[in-house]
Amino acid sequence: MTQTVQLFVTCLIDTLEPQIGEAVVRVLERAGVNVEFPQDQTCCGQPAFNAGLRDDARKMAQHTIEAFEKTTGPIVIPSGSCAAMLRHGYPELFTDDPVWLPRAEALALRTFEFTEFLVDELGITNVGAHYPGEITYHPSCHLLRGLGVDHQPRALLDNIGGAQFNELPNAEDCCGFGGVFSVEHPEISAEMLKRKINNTADSGADTVVVCDTGCLLHINGGLHRQREKPNVKHIAEILDLGKR
Amino acid sequence: MNPFHTQIKKSLTNPVLQAALDANAEKRILARKTAFTSLPEPLEIMRQRAHKVRSETIKNLDSYLEQFIIKVEENGIIVHRAADAEEARQIVLDIAKNSTQRRRERGEKIKKFRVNPRRQRHAEQSAPLLIAKSKTMVSEEIGLNEALEGAGIEAVETDLGEYIVQLRGEPPSHIITPAVHLRRQEVGETFHEKLGIPLTEDIPTMTDAARAALRQTFLDAYIGLSGVNFGVAESGSLCIVTNEGNGRMVTTLPKTHIALMGMERLVPTFDDLDLMLALLPRSATGQKITVYTQLIHGPRRDDEIDGPDERHLIILDNGRSTLRGTPLNDSLMCIRCGSCINACPIFRELGGHAYVGDRGQKTTYPGPIGSVVSPGLFGQAEFGHLAQASTLCGACKDACPVDIDLPEMLLRIRAGEIVSHKPSTVKDAGVGLPHSVRWGLRLFTWAASKTWRFRLAQRLAAAFSRILSPRADYLKMPAFTGWGYSKDFSRPAIRPFRERFKSNHEVTENTEKTMGESNTIPATLQDQSLISNIQSPTSKFENELSSLGGNFTRCTADTLSNVILILLAERGITEIMAWEQEHLPEGLLESLQEQGIRIEHTPHPELRAGLTGSLAAVAETGTLVQTSGAGSPQSTSLLPDIHIAVLRENTIYENLPQVLKLREVRDASSVALISGPSRTADIEMTLTIGVHGPGEVHVFCI
Repeated sequence: MTQTVQLFVTCLIDTLEPQIGEAVVRVLERAGVNVEFPQDQTCCGQPAFNAGLRDDARKMAQHTIEAFEKTTGPIVIPSGSCAAMLRHGYPELFTDDPVWLPRAEALALRTFEFTEFLVDELGITNVGAHYPGEITYHPSCHLLRGLGVDHQPRALLDNIGGAQFNELPNAEDCCGFGGVFSVEHPEISAEMLKRKINNTADSGADTVVVCDTGCLLHINGGLHRQREKPNVKHIAEILDLGKR
Repeated sequence: MNPFHTQIKKSLTNPVLQAALDANAEKRILARKTAFTSLPEPLEIMRQRAHKVRSETIKNLDSYLEQFIIKVEENGIIVHRAADAEEARQIVLDIAKNSTQRRRERGEKIKKFRVNPRRQRHAEQSAPLLIAKSKTMVSEEIGLNEALEGAGIEAVETDLGEYIVQLRGEPPSHIITPAVHLRRQEVGETFHEKLGIPLTEDIPTMTDAARAALRQTFLDAYIGLSGVNFGVAESGSLCIVTNEGNGRMVTTLPKTHIALMGMERLVPTFDDLDLMLALLPRSATGQKITVYTQLIHGPRRDDEIDGPDERHLIILDNGRSTLRGTPLNDSLMCIRCGSCINACPIFRELGGHAYVGDRGQKTTYPGPIGSVVSPGLFGQAEFGHLAQASTLCGACKDACPVDIDLPEMLLRIRAGEIVSHKPSTVKDAGVGLPHSVRWGLRLFTWAASKTWRFRLAQRLAAAFSRILSPRADYLKMPAFTGWGYSKDFSRPAIRPFRERFKSNHEVTENTEKTMGESNTIPATLQDQSLISNIQSPTSKFENELSSLGGNFTRCTADTLSNVILILLAERGITEIMAWEQEHLPEGLLESLQEQGIRIEHTPHPELRAGLTGSLAAVAETGTLVQTSGAGSPQSTSLLPDIHIAVLRENTIYENLPQVLKLREVRDASSVALISGPSRTADIEMTLTIGVHGPGEVHVFCI
């Protein structure tokens, strides 16, 4: 029986990097999964939540809950921080709301980050991808510490044919994105980004793999400003290579 | 520009600060990780147990406080409750005033060191009342030093880091390492200027200078003031952990001891204390145990020759009780180890002095925990903006030994969901958020809460961005947008994913499964704790003590006096202070005297060696356990340069909990757990042996 999943592609991928979403769909479909895309989805509300604007965040959460309640099956999100938002943020938003809390909790139980879904739910660590280069991995904070997802993406990367994996120095340091933080405290964010970019250079890898588009936009944006080649890829893009 | 932003810019452009902070972050994080490998149980298990203990304690704080206070008072300590900073300051001033008065009535000189008539010259001088302080963040929180100064009382900080910042007229920049913002060069200059020593970059030389300068302070101070790391509810014990020995000095030598503690710093039982003691030093400084762990149960008893005649405990509320049951409740679980501060990437860029209020006012607590408790205790309107300075990366929560969800609480502060005891003028959610970000997000929410508006916004963004940047894939934004300060922005796609999915989905070829066989995930968790434990307690103790820089010698009761004599001869020492014979192996003092060693039983600062017995020892940490009592003064193991301890092999216990259960430990007015020679790492995190306590510890095991 073919399993059907609901893709919550995230507003960043939808609007800015749609090719990542396409890669996600291809990887999932090759894993034998039927992918559906609820068209009512927009943004999970994380920016407003992180900024402290909880009323706004609740509006977005309600919109998202309604969009996905019409569907069944696991909700797969190619972003650690958005998955953490649905899993931990929504229940926090509706702590005192007897109507919405159970709906938020039901949604949280259906939510999986992309690599977590592949490895933990489908039991797949080798998608048969091939990439002849040196890669490194930046564990995004909400994925690593918010969801505790780390061995899953690493296992998937271990099995990419032809690729050499280099460990990223101080890998677990935040890249300085932090959503609204990067706009509100640009000076601190810039210093943190500088460290991250130096570490990615020190890793010797030609490609930096992430599971969160926020980090990707942040590091690539910094590289582009410095007239360097933006070399951060979403893990789905790498897992999609060599098997079209 | 608001004061916080000004401080941020100042920090980021200060190369000295940046170098110091980088070194701190790297050393501290590594030290912490290394220290956790020696935990008796897996870290996560202990951490969750500690979380539960602290959570329960805060939940039932009223009853634990009641139990604690009854016990403390039974122990002969005078308890004061202070509702706020003002009250706490006044209590200290009143104690100082009363002590002075009583002393005058008794006709005592202001300065004192009563132990030896040869040293009375200091006592002849009269000077303003002197208070020797060991490190207490509560005292910083209540602004005590300024209040004392205003009352004409001289307060001297004696922790090396605190001493340095006090000399420089600065507040501490970290709750554990107050001088973390300085490098050795700045400290050298400060000491050159203030202490008149030749300019030096040699850390041991600076440490010696501080030791020499502060020794007299300990001897002259009439009041010693300390913090409290943990109060034990079941016994009324005050537990104080220090490394340099200044904590023992100020709680042992002055006639009056005042301990300041936050009302939340309780643990219910000794077992809980043991758990906290396993986590606190490892988290704070990467040590298994601090050099000195004290348990204080009361003032000097009639038959004891040292220890203060009066002990006071001031329990401070200052907003803490109003945090209970609020969304910031869990911040009260903090044990002030500072590891969230060391782990924080923002602190690493800013340092502690940058965390200021809306009018530039300082806060005692920097870093993640500070950005939670400062708004919580001192006002949301004043300090709420600090919570915005976080990427919510969670490194703080990960580092916290009691697993406080700091990012969660930062989010709650941002949301304005706190109840502060000070009336807040900021009612809106999003405290500290700039207007542009606030309205930008509101607009985004408006657009994204209806699907059609969101799709329209996507189209507009794609079109508009192509006017701004017709060719490149990135938009160059101006610096004032924040993002444009250091990065370019990815140009929105003409066809967002939702449109691509619609048109592609039906035709996406469903290729046959090309997945490789699913691999099992390699087990990443290794059992780290159950390494075979075949070492005898004695050799374990020996190894631990040696690793701390102490010396261990095995001998017999017959050869004991000889090996001690050899040590004394090597050091050219002919006169020592020693505990009374009844606390030492039979005939020991007599044999030493026969060989020409003069013995003083009253501790004296000019004698270079002190000979003590030990109640017990802890193998796991290389710790000697000494209890105060008649004929066994605490100063004998504290004042001299060289501490010689006799230990009976059959009193070496495996671990701390076993020792904490001993009746003698529970009963003594003061207990010192001594783990190696006195040390500090307050200058550039560089370990230096021998600060205020003995620089040499020799254990002779019979």
